[in-house]
Amino acid sequence: MSDPPPISGRQPRAVRTALAVLEEVVAAGPGVTAKEISAALRLPPATTYRVLNLLVGEEYLVRLPDLRGFALGRRAARLAPVGVPRLPTAARGVVDHLRSRVRWGVHLAVFDGGRLHLLDPDPDHPPSDPDLLARLPQASALGRLLLADQPDWRALVRELRPVTEHTVTDPDRLSRLLDEVTEQGLASQTGELRPDRGCLAAAVRSPADGRLVAGLALSGPAARVADPDPELVALLREHAGSLGPLLG
Amino acid sequence: MATLRDRSPVHGLERRRLGPADVVAQSIAGSAPSAAMAATPVIVAGLAGPWTVWSFVAAAVIALLVAASIGRFTTRMAAPGGLYPLTAQGLGSGPAFAGGVAAVLGYLLLCAAALGGAVLYLPPLLGAGPAQTRWGATAAAVLCGLIVTALVARGVRPAARVVLLVEAIAVGALVGVFALLLAGGPLPGPGAGPQPAIGAAGLVAGVVPALAAFIGFEVATSLGAETRRPFRTVPRAVFATAAVTGVLYVFAAAVQTSGFAAVPGGLGGQVQPVQVLATTRGWWWIPPVLHAALVLSFLACAVATATALSRVLFSLARDGAVPGVLGRTHRRFRTPHVAVLAAVPAAAAAVAVPLAAGVPPEVLLVGLLGAATVGFLVTYLLVCLAAPLFLRRIGELTPAAVATAALAVPALFAALVAFVVAAPLSGLVLAVALPAGAGWAVLQRRRGDLPALGVYDETVASDVWHRVR
Repeated sequence: MSDPPPISGRQPRAVRTALAVLEEVVAAGPGVTAKEISAALRLPPATTYRVLNLLVGEEYLVRLPDLRGFALGRRAARLAPVGVPRLPTAARGVVDHLRSRVRWGVHLAVFDGGRLHLLDPDPDHPPSDPDLLARLPQASALGRLLLADQPDWRALVRELRPVTEHTVTDPDRLSRLLDEVTEQGLASQTGELRPDRGCLAAAVRSPADGRLVAGLALSGPAARVADPDPELVALLREHAGSLGPLLG
Repeated sequence: MATLRDRSPVHGLERRRLGPADVVAQSIAGSAPSAAMAATPVIVAGLAGPWTVWSFVAAAVIALLVAASIGRFTTRMAAPGGLYPLTAQGLGSGPAFAGGVAAVLGYLLLCAAALGGAVLYLPPLLGAGPAQTRWGATAAAVLCGLIVTALVARGVRPAARVVLLVEAIAVGALVGVFALLLAGGPLPGPGAGPQPAIGAAGLVAGVVPALAAFIGFEVATSLGAETRRPFRTVPRAVFATAAVTGVLYVFAAAVQTSGFAAVPGGLGGQVQPVQVLATTRGWWWIPPVLHAALVLSFLACAVATATALSRVLFSLARDGAVPGVLGRTHRRFRTPHVAVLAAVPAAAAAVAVPLAAGVPPEVLLVGLLGAATVGFLVTYLLVCLAAPLFLRRIGELTPAAVATAALAVPALFAALVAFVVAAPLSGLVLAVALPAGAGWAVLQRRRGDLPALGVYDETVASDVWHRVR
């Protein structure tokens, strides 16, 4: 039961029903009940309940605390990629200010729907391949900020594959690393994407509700990331703090 | 739309951590199938005679019906409190509290029985020596209790991993032994002789001890909050456990009855059937393998039931029904360590004290298991009764759910009555304690001292999409 059986693709009606149920939950809004969905879609009640329980089991839907009503789960957010927002001029100013103060690469990424978008990569110090960053969030400092903010990081990690010999591939070690990230509000990686380079990243949180909106990263020599200068860390945190109201 | 909390009422546990293999292993370990495969068929045969195998089939069907009833809840909610929060959703706080008390007693006594079983089969492994004495057995029980306490307090994942490994070895060894015995064919003999005339009543009498072999198969329910994808994994784990242990028991019963088919008195006339089957063929090495597997299986059962016991107490504490200190969790290990430290030593004491007082381990084991079974039957009965009521309340009632309850509730009630008739003392305790507990809970609710029972891992704001963005 650990591996799902291969999909035969021979249940087109079941797939159609599942999509119709998802759409109905979006259309009716959070709190819609199984009976209402069954009536709206003219589906037999037993079929509706089975499909709903399946979608809840897969966490595309969640049951609200009264156990009658349904809403879209956070996993459903991954079905709807959103357009990358433009970076406000004031925020770009903050990033440029940090670039003028340090000799490290400075990158800004925003987090949306469980994904990482490099919104302002440093033109003078190009970061690793953006597709690689998006695919292996566990190997980058910015990705670790995102993972540490999830209730279960496994939901966003597809494969724990090594890029260099330093890449963390042990799930338990990654869990411990992410616990530290949560504690300190600061993530790092040394030589896990490129052997000689490392990265430090600070969380940018909305001042209104404290949710994670973006990450500000410094990239530089791996040895200096492993033992960072406290003044540099303070500078990074300070700039991340001033980005909060501009992006949150 | 109901208001969403910012954090789960059962926060502090390691939320969404265990994979399907860990959960299934805990669940299978909870019913200690190796021990039941070796010990139960002979008890059933004494009562059911020719109906032995059918008694196990009937008990398996009842267990599957209970698993289906539990599944109605666990596909919809994840609760660390085991079955009582499920009962609360259908029957309300009074019966839920009675179910909670029955679950605490059931798990405590089953954990104690598992420790006792490990102590019982340890001396033959170590040979004659200090472990054979009364004090040796007591010391072994205390030591096993300490190991289980430490393991369960240390974290849900290490405990689950140990259980997975140990239970796999134990079940593998037992299945191997039984396959060999089956290949050996029946023992030679003059024929079973005149069979005692046991009618269909034998089937009914045999179902009760056969059902006792299944208790503990639902322990995965109490891991709901700690399981990754709980709505998919937990119901499947409980159902798979009922099915797998059912097949194992029917297989074990069939091997043993066919082995003694030609011997006067049949299987029911034996005391240690597996040993006899092995030693008459000259397979001297089977009893030690069997004993080692039984010790491992009992220890795995002790860990699984201790985990469940601590989660039920934790949940009752978060509900405000027992002292709140039991609801604390360890910051690093993310286990309800206070509940573990309170309950597991109590279970160990329930074995160690009678052993020190000179009660023979065999007698103690049978007594503890019998009393535990009564507790479990009560919780099963309540949850089967609650399932259709819960579904009606949330507007998702189906004819299948009604049919399940209509079959399971009378069967469980009859089994409970049969048990109480066989052990009147436990019945008396039950008849006084449970209504008193339910009444107390209802009274406290009326006075406003107790909020509604049945805390579970609710959907919180961050689980819903519109709050994520």
